[in-house]
Amino acid sequence: MAFNSKKRKVVTRDTPSENDSDDELANGLLSGILSHSEDESDENQEGGVDSGVSSEIEGLSDGGEEDEEDGSDTDLEGDEQDIREQFRNLKTTDKPSSRNAVDITLDHDLEANTNGEMEEEGEDMKPNYTVTTDANGNLRYIYKEIDPVYDSDDSDAEATNTIGDIPLAFYDEYPHIGYDINGKKIMRPAKGEALDALLESIDIPKGWTGLTDPATGKPLNLSEEELDVLKRLTRNEVLEDGYDPYPEMVHYFSGKTEIMPLSAAPEPKRRFVPSKHEAKRVMKIVKAIREGRIQPYKPPAEEDEEDEAVHYDVWADEKPRPEKSMHIPAPKLPPPGYDASYHPPPEYLPDNDEKAAWLGADEEDREKEYLPANYEALRKVPGYERFVKERFERSLDLYLAPRVRRNKLNIDPESLLPKLPNPEDLKPFPTTCSAIFRGQEGRVRSVSFDPSGIFVASGGDDGYVRIWELLTGRQVWNVKLSDEEAVDSVKWRPDREASILAAASGESIYMIVPFSILSPDMEQASRDVLDAGWGYAASKPSTTTNSVTKEPPGKWSRPGTRLEAKGVLLQTMVRSTVKIINWHRKGDYFATVSPRGQSTAVAIHTLSKHLTQLPFRRLKGIAQTAQFHPSKAIFFVATRNTIRSYDLAKQELVKILQPGAKWISSIDVHPGGDNIIVGTYDKRLLWHDLDLSTKPYKTLRFHQEAIRAVRFHQGGLPLFADASDDGSLQVFHGKVVGDLMENATIVPLKVLKGHKVKSRLGVMDVDWHPREPWCVSAGADGTCRLWS
Amino acid sequence: MARIQKKGNSGAAKNYITRTRAVKKLQISLPDFRRLCIFKGIYPREPRKKKKVSKGSTAATTFYYTKDIQYLLHEPLLAKFREHKAVAKKIARALGRGEAGDAARLEKNLVPKVKLDHIIKERYPTFVDALRDLDDALSMLFLFANLPSSDYVPAKTISLCQRLCHEFEHYVIVSHSLRKSFLSIKGIYYQATIQGQDILWLVPYRFVQRTGGDIDFRIMGTFVEFYTTLLGFVNYRLYTSIGLVYPPKFNAKMDEQGGELSAFQLEGRSLITNGTATKSDTPAVINPEAQAIADKIAAQPDAEEEEETAVAPVEAIEDENTEGIDKFEVTAPDADVLPQPEASSAEVASLFAPFTFFLSREVPRAPLEFILKAFGCKRVGWDGSLGDGAFTMNESDPFITHQIVDRPSISTDAPDVPETGKGSATAPKAQWPRSTMPGRTYVQPQWVWDCLNQGKLLRPDLYAPGAELPPHLSPWVKPKAGEYDPTRALQEQELEGEAEAAEDEDEDEEAAEASDEEMGGAEHDTDGLLNRESSVEAGEGMDVADSDDDDSEDSEDSEGDAKDAADEWDGFDSDAESDISEGEAARLQHQRELEAEATGKKLEPQVETTKSKNTAIRKKAEKKRKQEQEERERQKMMLSNKKRKLLKRIEYGTNKRDVEAENLRKKRRRVEKAKAAAEAV
Repeated sequence: MAFNSKKRKVVTRDTPSENDSDDELANGLLSGILSHSEDESDENQEGGVDSGVSSEIEGLSDGGEEDEEDGSDTDLEGDEQDIREQFRNLKTTDKPSSRNAVDITLDHDLEANTNGEMEEEGEDMKPNYTVTTDANGNLRYIYKEIDPVYDSDDSDAEATNTIGDIPLAFYDEYPHIGYDINGKKIMRPAKGEALDALLESIDIPKGWTGLTDPATGKPLNLSEEELDVLKRLTRNEVLEDGYDPYPEMVHYFSGKTEIMPLSAAPEPKRRFVPSKHEAKRVMKIVKAIREGRIQPYKPPAEEDEEDEAVHYDVWADEKPRPEKSMHIPAPKLPPPGYDASYHPPPEYLPDNDEKAAWLGADEEDREKEYLPANYEALRKVPGYERFVKERFERSLDLYLAPRVRRNKLNIDPESLLPKLPNPEDLKPFPTTCSAIFRGQEGRVRSVSFDPSGIFVASGGDDGYVRIWELLTGRQVWNVKLSDEEAVDSVKWRPDREASILAAASGESIYMIVPFSILSPDMEQASRDVLDAGWGYAASKPSTTTNSVTKEPPGKWSRPGTRLEAKGVLLQTMVRSTVKIINWHRKGDYFATVSPRGQSTAVAIHTLSKHLTQLPFRRLKGIAQTAQFHPSKAIFFVATRNTIRSYDLAKQELVKILQPGAKWISSIDVHPGGDNIIVGTYDKRLLWHDLDLSTKPYKTLRFHQEAIRAVRFHQGGLPLFADASDDGSLQVFHGKVVGDLMENATIVPLKVLKGHKVKSRLGVMDVDWHPREPWCVSAGADGTCRLWS
Repeated sequence: MARIQKKGNSGAAKNYITRTRAVKKLQISLPDFRRLCIFKGIYPREPRKKKKVSKGSTAATTFYYTKDIQYLLHEPLLAKFREHKAVAKKIARALGRGEAGDAARLEKNLVPKVKLDHIIKERYPTFVDALRDLDDALSMLFLFANLPSSDYVPAKTISLCQRLCHEFEHYVIVSHSLRKSFLSIKGIYYQATIQGQDILWLVPYRFVQRTGGDIDFRIMGTFVEFYTTLLGFVNYRLYTSIGLVYPPKFNAKMDEQGGELSAFQLEGRSLITNGTATKSDTPAVINPEAQAIADKIAAQPDAEEEEETAVAPVEAIEDENTEGIDKFEVTAPDADVLPQPEASSAEVASLFAPFTFFLSREVPRAPLEFILKAFGCKRVGWDGSLGDGAFTMNESDPFITHQIVDRPSISTDAPDVPETGKGSATAPKAQWPRSTMPGRTYVQPQWVWDCLNQGKLLRPDLYAPGAELPPHLSPWVKPKAGEYDPTRALQEQELEGEAEAAEDEDEDEEAAEASDEEMGGAEHDTDGLLNRESSVEAGEGMDVADSDDDDSEDSEDSEGDAKDAADEWDGFDSDAESDISEGEAARLQHQRELEAEATGKKLEPQVETTKSKNTAIRKKAEKKRKQEQEERERQKMMLSNKKRKLLKRIEYGTNKRDVEAENLRKKRRRVEKAKAAAEAV
């Protein structure tokens, strides 16, 4: 049957080509080529429909020809016109309808015509329009609206031969060749007459085969195309034109690994079947929407979302910070002062210099970060340009600066200063220079008060020992001890019964009784004291049994008539230059110090026996000075760095004091015996309390230059003085209380200035009056001064 | 035997931790650590023995307490920071892929919101603690409220700051807790006393702030974030403590029109149930008398009489005020002075209560409105251009008693005919400076500040428009011994002999000038003044009869050259005459007498010239000072080294203070002289 229909189709196609020009045929061919692949199925489908239609057309055309011959044209023609009109109408009203549909309706109409029921059709059509005249007087057809009911479209009516699958030869003896869908006979197309056959034989149409199409009974003509196909078939060639039997191979499966693998698996069925699961979910959502559980989406407003924080009472149940927390609150900024005002008092405004200094200074060096300025009205005040910066710096300080709790010094400076006794209460002490003893040549090296307090003895570089009357300042006595040597030390013997002055010049020590100024009793007593030893010295040498008599450390002798006439009665020679003489309190012993002498540096002389002893075989360091304890049998020896105290009775070392000085110049022992003051060349005055420690109790440093001499007041006044190379004496109050619980009070009292500094030497020696608060000083300028 | 302790395992070495180690321990970035520290109020510490802590190294490092850092480990914020970091990564990834929508969604939904409520409670266990720390918060927030919005300061933050600040101001107004205020060159300082805590904050003048330079706004922003939270809670507590609802109603429309303070509407707690909102300026604590009087005044239509009535009630209030603390005056000078509270809120509330103010348009409205309202003024009007919310915008309102003006006055010679001619009798047009309303006081803004700082109404004529204002003084400076005090007369503060020395200096200068002139060949008597001075110095006994007007004459004398002298004075040695000892002087005097006797002349009594008198006084003072100095030195000699150093430090401070004070006195002397000279001319 398929073949049949195909054949028929071929025929139908052929017909128009017969009627029309060759161009149209070519067109048809072309279109076929163009729509080659995609329309294949379409054509096939249409084929079923077309096959009948085309036959009808053929029939129509044929019939038309016959009808024409029959002579019943007019009606037909009119009908045809009507149909055409209707068709046009259709087109206009139903524009979007597919081309195919239009064709079909056309076919249907035509077929209706061919069926010969023109009357019926006409009747049917009649109510379809009304005829009126238009403005030009021409006829105008007004068509009714087409009611698109089911019946209105019969385009799907089958108009094919319905005889089924039987050979057409069965109808050979009938005038018809089958039946249409309505049961109407399909009349056999008229067979050509003999003339026709002849004519046909004369000009054989193209593609004439001489065969008769069994389906239509017409002579079967083949188109060139069909012929070509036939030709290829016979040659065993591929039917289609341009078919490439050996196309380039496409490597669908190659050794290369592709990114996206292709799957050869057939598409599963589920791809085409609607998902039940999805349907379920959709139904769920639908249900939710219906019930109102899902609201249509509404974008949230920005403001609502970012609503500010809710506030509540944070401190509803407040508990104080734990006591021991280490928290240090940030210090507050200080409130502004007067100069920060926009209109400050004029004195707060900077003058030109201050302004320039401020502007010139680096920002960090400025004491204030702003420059005071004056604006006479509030409206003239400009903005402060460092405002943000300052705030920023403050915030930096808040989180970056370490906080330290510093105890602010809220001390009244007055309270720091010690409560000193009123200077008035400390009186008396020397304040002014009341007398100057002039007359010495060169430096005065030593001064000493006589025990009665009437005279002052002095010794100096000129080799003289002079005695001055204290109250008048007059020189009452002098003697020249040596021409070359200076008198290094003069010291009165501490005994009021006798008046003996010891003076050291060079290696010899002289005992002087200045009888010209003494009363005869006194003179006699003094001479007795000195002479007592002569006999002892004479009897002594017998004790030295050795054949080699050891040279005694001291040679006691009479100094000679010149000196004896003046009152110098005794001379003691030691081995090296004596610098210091110090008497024992009883006046029987005296110690001399000669720093140069190694083993003979310190010597203790006994006046009553004219005996010289060397207590130290070897001394550690250079001896500077030596002194007896005022009440005990203790002997102090000062070397350069230390002070040693020895018990003379037990002959042992008692204590070593370490003042920490580099070079001790002089020491003096307090009359109580428990305190020592030490003067040093390194400008310090040290107070040692022997009960406390070997280290100084107080270190006083008020001098610019070295301290040469220190001296306690021996007559019961709590005073001591020192003499320094800066030309001044300093007088202190140094009270020692018997109570062990209380330390000594030391109060500086007075700086006595008056001596002139000569070749870097100022005051050489100082001594106190035995009773009065007076002191006398020996200056390098050749004067002695009495201070009272 | 005890085990040997290893070094660095206990004590200071363990108690402190460096910043780097702290950051590592917390596993956060340095900026996050900084933020955390700011929020939690953790600050570095200074170990007492730095070398021990840093295990021998001397490099400069910051140390924190290990305990502080340990305590940070449990901070919920830390988790927030980590979350934030995770989200930031996600957002960065989304942005890297170009998924802007995703990024926006992530940012919107996932970025954790940092809440600082718990920190507030931690840092300030009691409310008073929070108040004590409010200085910085307020200063910072007021600054941010006045900043323009920019990339790093979002507009939202600014508006939040503004809102919080205004709310706080409202509280201060209602509770009358403002005590002092000061116009400085930096801005306006305010001090309020709330629950016994003095809170001092600084508000900048309204200019565009300079934000350039090395200012890190991230740090400032972190502080602002914390401070806004803090102030929010503080405001809540303050509002509820006086029975107001927090937050107050905020009228955005009013705010847009420049309502500022009046954009807020305070509500009493009890009134919520009634549903009636009170007016914004309804205070919780009202002085009933003041209110009654204010009402009475408001009822009076006559503008002329207002001045009298305005003054009278104040006195009445003072008389009636019996509940307050009485002032105890010390009768004997040796008694101790016990401190008393300065101003009660009732006094504060009544200072400006009876008045109606009007602010001209050139006057800064916000501070004045705040101050006037805080000090009891109910009716503050201003020019319409200054924004909404005024009591009146009509300058010619007859109720106005005071107008604050900050414009130079125009000479009022021009007759104000058009106004008076046209204006109706009931409402005359009173436009400063063309015409003034009778009975109205015109003052400059400083009047308000000076009044409140002194706690009483000052004479307004000193502050009249165009007048030269008295100096504006800081209310926080307490006069201390030895410091210069501009409120007291110069003579009271001068050291003995100081003024005389200064005069001498000037005169010496003049004399030197005179001699210079002589040298230069100038005429002797061109300048009578100089001539006279030199003759006095020669000691010829110029007759100056009455010593009473010495001072005045002297000041007149030196007027001309005062300025020159001040400028050109270059360290003339003031000790010049001290060489001549007094003994010498006495000897000279004696010699003179002898000579007089010999010649038979009668010796004129040695006339005390200004010069000699000055010298005498000065010398005496100097001598005394010297003695004191000597005594002090003597005492110092006895100090231990440690104490001497301490004393030196103290003395350094006092010396500096003294020098400063002396400098100021010198300047003042000069200024006063110049002024006197100007007056004389």
